[in-house]
Amino acid sequence: MTLLSEVFRRPLDPGYHEAARRKAAHPDAPVGRTRTVGVLVLTVLLGLVVTAATLALRQPSPSAVEARALLLGQIKDETARADEAQRSISATSAQLTALQEQVLAGEDPKLLARLQQDAGASGVVAVTGPGLRVELSDAPAADGQDEPDLDHRVQDVDLQVVVNGLWAAGAEAVAINGTRLTTTTAIRSAGSAVLVDLVAMSSPYDVDAIGDSATLQTQLALGSAGQHLATLRDTYDIGVAVSARTDLRLPGTGQVTLRYASTPAPTSSATPSPSADGGVAGSSSTQEGRTP
Amino acid sequence: MIALLGLALGVVLGLVLQPTVPTELQPYLPIAVVAALDALFGGLRATLDGIFDDRVFVTSFLSNVVLAALIVFLGDQLGVGSQLSTAVVVVLGIRIFSNAAAIRRHVFKA
Repeated sequence: MTLLSEVFRRPLDPGYHEAARRKAAHPDAPVGRTRTVGVLVLTVLLGLVVTAATLALRQPSPSAVEARALLLGQIKDETARADEAQRSISATSAQLTALQEQVLAGEDPKLLARLQQDAGASGVVAVTGPGLRVELSDAPAADGQDEPDLDHRVQDVDLQVVVNGLWAAGAEAVAINGTRLTTTTAIRSAGSAVLVDLVAMSSPYDVDAIGDSATLQTQLALGSAGQHLATLRDTYDIGVAVSARTDLRLPGTGQVTLRYASTPAPTSSATPSPSADGGVAGSSSTQEGRTP
Repeated sequence: MIALLGLALGVVLGLVLQPTVPTELQPYLPIAVVAALDALFGGLRATLDGIFDDRVFVTSFLSNVVLAALIVFLGDQLGVGSQLSTAVVVVLGIRIFSNAAAIRRHVFKA
């Protein structure tokens, strides 16, 4: 307690009082020249050291920067590799489709027509046509904040509602920010990011739907998705823009992962043939054949 | 005045030269800066009290910085580095506050 009360009661360095008393005792003591020089040198040194310390404290430590750069480099490399693999998959799929069509055109034109229709519906091939674009964007950040809080951001639920509303309104194909939605595409959130088919996305989100734009717009507004959009706009200040487009281009996923297949012919064959039903062809490691 | 001049010169030099601090000294920097702040406020208060003395200022500045760094070093060796750093920051923080309060009384007479 003595220590603390000492600190509280007399915070000024007692040396100042002593020096003042000394000065009062000998008012005309000469100030030495060496002393002036010494004080100057020492204060310059101290100012330099403190400035250097402050500067050093203000920059992030070099090791952290290095680690960050390393991780960034790794992420870039791996992303490039993934993109490369994706391109290769797309090219091979296109080749496969072309070959398939070539063969089927001669043998079974009806099956080919059905195949092409199914490929469009399942999101495998790219489609173009008129449709509707719903743009959702985060609310502007509140004063003094770098980014809006979670309530004022577009969340996975909002996108799910819009997409479901578009399907219900009769959309033939839907894509979010250029990622085509298929029957197995998930819209989830991980932390503050929205993942569409495991691809991280950020505001603004363009939800494109192909179909009759007038019908889509009316049905979307009439359904529960329309109410949801109105709530987002009015209560949470989230940007909502719905516009009809004459020429939308939605990419295809380019690949089919076959999870289940069965042979249509009632032959009691013991060996399953995975690519028989519907003619959906694809390469997959999780093929599962079954005879009826 | 000489002391103030010297400090200003040192700060300018530091900003211009941008010297790099050796990595071994990095842990002592925050404490050293707080100690320097304490000495600065003490000097300012002494000036307002009319009893400023450049020798006392330089000595207190230097001893504050060195002592604070020494305590942290000792704490590191004993395995209580962070606790001792906290103690130093608390004591110096209280002194800075009291000195700032005295300066405020001088300036605003309240």
